[in-house]
Amino acid sequence: MKLLFSQTMTIVRHGFKIEWANPERWLSPILFAITMLILFSFSVGTIEGPDTAKLLVAETYLTAFFSLQISFARFLEPDQQDGVFSLLRTYPLSGSAWYLGKYITVMIMGLLILIPTIFLTSFLHAKSGVSLMSIPVITVAVTALSGMAALGVLLSTMTMGSGSKQILYPLLYFPLTAPVLISAVEASKSILVDNVNLQSLMSSWLGLLLIFGVMSFTLGILLFGELVKAE
Amino acid sequence: MLKVSDLHFGYRFRPILQGVSCEVSAGEILHIVGTNGSGKTTLMSILAGLTKETAGSITLTCDNQEIADRRQKTEYLPAEANGLYGKMDAMDNLRFWQKLRGLSPSNEDIIAALAQWDLDHPLIRSNFPTEKYSTGMKRRLALARVQLSGTPLWLLDEPLYGLDAKGIVQFQSILSQHLDAGGAVAVVSHDTVPLETFRPKVLEIEKRTAS
Repeated sequence: MKLLFSQTMTIVRHGFKIEWANPERWLSPILFAITMLILFSFSVGTIEGPDTAKLLVAETYLTAFFSLQISFARFLEPDQQDGVFSLLRTYPLSGSAWYLGKYITVMIMGLLILIPTIFLTSFLHAKSGVSLMSIPVITVAVTALSGMAALGVLLSTMTMGSGSKQILYPLLYFPLTAPVLISAVEASKSILVDNVNLQSLMSSWLGLLLIFGVMSFTLGILLFGELVKAE
Repeated sequence: MLKVSDLHFGYRFRPILQGVSCEVSAGEILHIVGTNGSGKTTLMSILAGLTKETAGSITLTCDNQEIADRRQKTEYLPAEANGLYGKMDAMDNLRFWQKLRGLSPSNEDIIAALAQWDLDHPLIRSNFPTEKYSTGMKRRLALARVQLSGTPLWLLDEPLYGLDAKGIVQFQSILSQHLDAGGAVAVVSHDTVPLETFRPKVLEIEKRTAS
């Protein structure tokens, strides 16, 4: 257990050192999100009326989803250089520790993209009177992120050895994450438009998000070791 | 220490290794030789646990105990890669691999290992990405990783690639220390001269069939 924890933390710490050493890797998705939101802000202008919240939710999730996609699709890149990934497979590294380490790193990187995206949407549309910077909306977004991150790590590793990764990854990732996005959008809309609280959402959209997150994470923990063992 | 019995491996319609058997004990070197494409690197990959053999058995024993997970006692140096994160410096690279083994090497330990490979200069070992290293320096750093692992069995695939004359002498010295400490080495190398001083066991692999 001690070794598992130590290996997990080593992967996490090392993951952040790599990200810090490669600023382009985290700058690209953040700058993409900023550009998208500014574009939306200019094209939509000042929005008012009953559909304001719906529009902001759509804008935020669309931006966040593509920014996260840029980040997730590349998170294994450093491990693919100079035979690192193969060498990791020859080490007495627990599959669970490896997955958990990658998952935590991706989650934190995802949060560093998601939270500024939500903040920036609220800031750029401050005049609309609708703010996404509320605990219930952020809870929904983070729950969605946790499921997408779990699936992203698993699929990236699954498709890593495949020659057609560029095609295989989006073909698997986008259809599988569509229900997550729909649930997240619906849950956020319910909070902002209908003033539904998180407790009530647990039996509907938020519950679905949670189940997806737990299932993806469990699958990742169980399957990761199999994916990286001897071919 | 390592016993390989009747090992087979092949892709569909193309056998690579057929009935490879060999043994290497503590303090010994097994030199695996053969023509290009004969399956030397495939054999190393199987021994390292990257590829699964189709038949045969591999047994690793340490202190008369069979090791269930060979990865705990084996360190692998691939032929065409060094396992280095290019953006990280030498210290961080070595520290990372050691920590994955559950070791906590001090900075002094790492610097001492780097010193044996002439990589201990402060301007080279820290805050200097290894992607800027020369081919020989990268190989030396990878060999420092192997050395620091503390594992009894080293699997070295073309370890001399890129090393200059001084590097080869350093390699011989490290190898000698490892063997004296009761370690064993399986090595693939087309450069046979530096290994001759150790009077290695030789395993010759022929294309498609093995002896």
